[in-house]
Amino acid sequence: MTAAPTAAAPRHSRVIDLLRGAPILGPVAALILACIFFATQTDRFLSGANFSLILQQVMVVGTLAIGQELVILTGGIDLSNGMIMALSSVLTTGLIANSGVHPFLAVVLGLAVCVAFGVLNGWLTTAIGLPPFIVTLGTFNIAYALVRIYTTATITSVPDSLLFFGNTFSIGSTEITYGSILMLVLFAIAWLVLGSTRAGRSVYAVGDNPEAARLAGIRTSRVLVGVYAMAALSYGIAGLLLVARTGVGDPQAGQTGNLDSITAVVLGGTSLLGGRGQIMGALVGALIVGVFRNGLQLMGVGSIYQVLITGILVILAVSVDYLSHRAK
Amino acid sequence: MTATTATPQGKVLLEMKDIGKSFPGVKALQGVSLSVREGEVLALLGENGAGKSTLIKILSGAYTKDEGEIFFEGQPVTIRSPQDAQDLGISTIYQEPNLAKDLTVAENIFLGRLPAKGLLVDWETVRKKSREILDRLGATIRVNAIVSTLSVAEQQLVEISKSLNRKTRILIMDEPSAVLGESDLERLHQVVRSLQAEGIGIIYISHRMREIFELADEVTVLKDGRFVGTRRVADVTMDELVRLIIGRGLEDVFPRREVVPGEVLLEVKNLRRARLVHDVSFQLRAGEILGFAGITGSGRTEVVRAIFGADAHGGEMRISGKPYRASSPTEAIRRGIALVNEDRKAHGLFLKLDVTVNTTIAALKGLCRAGFIQRAKEKALVQKLIQDLRIKTPGASSIVLNMSGGNQQKVIISRWLAIDTRILIMDEPTRGIDVGSKSEIYQIMNELTKRGVGIIMISSELPEVLGMSDRILVMREGTIVGELSRADASEEAIMKRAVGGDLAQGAAARA
Repeated sequence: MTAAPTAAAPRHSRVIDLLRGAPILGPVAALILACIFFATQTDRFLSGANFSLILQQVMVVGTLAIGQELVILTGGIDLSNGMIMALSSVLTTGLIANSGVHPFLAVVLGLAVCVAFGVLNGWLTTAIGLPPFIVTLGTFNIAYALVRIYTTATITSVPDSLLFFGNTFSIGSTEITYGSILMLVLFAIAWLVLGSTRAGRSVYAVGDNPEAARLAGIRTSRVLVGVYAMAALSYGIAGLLLVARTGVGDPQAGQTGNLDSITAVVLGGTSLLGGRGQIMGALVGALIVGVFRNGLQLMGVGSIYQVLITGILVILAVSVDYLSHRAK
Repeated sequence: MTATTATPQGKVLLEMKDIGKSFPGVKALQGVSLSVREGEVLALLGENGAGKSTLIKILSGAYTKDEGEIFFEGQPVTIRSPQDAQDLGISTIYQEPNLAKDLTVAENIFLGRLPAKGLLVDWETVRKKSREILDRLGATIRVNAIVSTLSVAEQQLVEISKSLNRKTRILIMDEPSAVLGESDLERLHQVVRSLQAEGIGIIYISHRMREIFELADEVTVLKDGRFVGTRRVADVTMDELVRLIIGRGLEDVFPRREVVPGEVLLEVKNLRRARLVHDVSFQLRAGEILGFAGITGSGRTEVVRAIFGADAHGGEMRISGKPYRASSPTEAIRRGIALVNEDRKAHGLFLKLDVTVNTTIAALKGLCRAGFIQRAKEKALVQKLIQDLRIKTPGASSIVLNMSGGNQQKVIISRWLAIDTRILIMDEPTRGIDVGSKSEIYQIMNELTKRGVGIIMISSELPEVLGMSDRILVMREGTIVGELSRADASEEAIMKRAVGGDLAQGAAARA
């Protein structure tokens, strides 16, 4: 029986085959094209210092996108992430500045509160079975309120130890912040876990078909609570990076963190339906946004047009992805 | 056999001559011809991938042909779009009903063509006409019922009504029986016969050989995209037909069972589930295939899901004499129990993930070292299973979504062979699978029992139950109403117990 070809009759081009086999190639190609474009438009784009700046500019959103990617892979969505990040940064800096808590302890407490929020998100989605959109919309508001109840003033006296990730080291003449390296390390860890461990496989399986996952012996509730908790930990770390980058604990921060991280995830080729996507796609997605903002800025394009172009990019990227999957 | 099998009558409605269709790199169809008369049921047969779907898609306007001619009532026609097909009166009904689930039956029947009275929809006409069409089919469904509350069988009737509400001369039915149990099947056949009586030509696709003989006037067989032949059903035997389809005879479909059942593997005592299962007790031995027969809704699926820990239940169980509490699928799998689900797409497969992930998802614990999956070991395991089960796939990293039903089913089976499964539960193991793959799955089951695996097989296809089981339990209304040895079992004996009382006479008479 030379059967299979009839069912999956190939009417699409080789390019689409290639894209489907390695979905990250599309976003990577887009990133490279964007870089080539900006390199031809402005001399200042193509330099080590500028790339280091881009990395630094995306490290907060990139770290948020790690957690967002995990949640979206399970078929969920996390609207609360920017607010959890803000809570972590304000709480940590506030505990040190206002309550005299040792910085190390303050960091641990801040991260613990984030993880608690993640567990709450996971518990509400699994135990009660509420849609993640609703749950995290609720915790978004709760976290926002907690931040504002805790303080409405920016916390400015931040100890040096918390600024470490904003410090730089040099490779040749290029200065690189430790924070960008931390983000890359976190991506590498997430990549390893997702691709090469049972836990990672379970995330994909639950995202693709939760009932089939349960019937294959996966404890789906544990997987989901674990994913929301780990995601929230990444938001907490993003909060620390934010403090290191800005030097303050800002109660106004993080309000667009959810949409910015979803943008990165989607640009990276991850399906919002769950089960399909790669963690490195989220990094590439964050970099695409970063490169466009940076490049347009260097070209002297106003910041509101950068937002406009980001919007167009998202729609374009998802259209290409959608069409390549529909073409069969 | 009730179908009229006299000489062909009625004028030829549709004729397809030497149809060819190529996709880049593949010749999907070559030199295929068929014809359908008024009031005739033509069965279109062939293994998955034989070209049936392609042919139907050409007829319904989803694909355009590359070669050949189509005649409608003797006139050459071109079908370039679904609209063209509809204008000719060609309607298609797919296996999975394609309805707006949150709308009512009447709204679905009139979807896209609601009659107006002034500015408003003329609901009275909609309801009245819908009722008329449903009555024509002998369906008692309420016209105001929401579609999602109906059974699959009822949804199919709505789908058929929808096409009758348009001009329909030719009705293509793509495996309508694959999703139905034995009891709904008879109703579907009655509907087909009444459409036939109205002069509609029907192209009927099915993998269930027995219904072909009950229903069809003629069969056209395809293999590997080529035309094999057309026969009057009255002139062929089951064996000849199977030989046409797969190229070998019926005696080879079911393997010879030579395994002598060993010690008791699983002991079930007083298994209960509220309203669904009442005090079910039985034993399964090593190397045994225990068939579960009964009509849909008799509680068979509920019993095996309880044993697998998928649903809450009461009762006592033992595995090889040791107490077993089926608290979750995870626990069941740990104790060596596996379940191949009735609905492989909804409850078994990860459709967007690849063969490797689907195969090893339950076996990862054994494949990990220091928390990381050992890729080489995993790859070797998957390759071995692909070879052993003869899974047809371009590679271990192919997505399972596009595979044929038979190959998807083999992927699920391979998942349970990747771990040490002692008790394999298979719920409708060959539903919607072509004869060739069916035979391969039977071989696999037979091999497993030689290794001492005990198999519980639920099946609504009596030939399968009779052909494979060492022992048969018949269920009705949540209880076991009979046990038959292989020697005592017959279709009549099973149906009598499965249906019970007076109905049995009718069923036996038809069989």
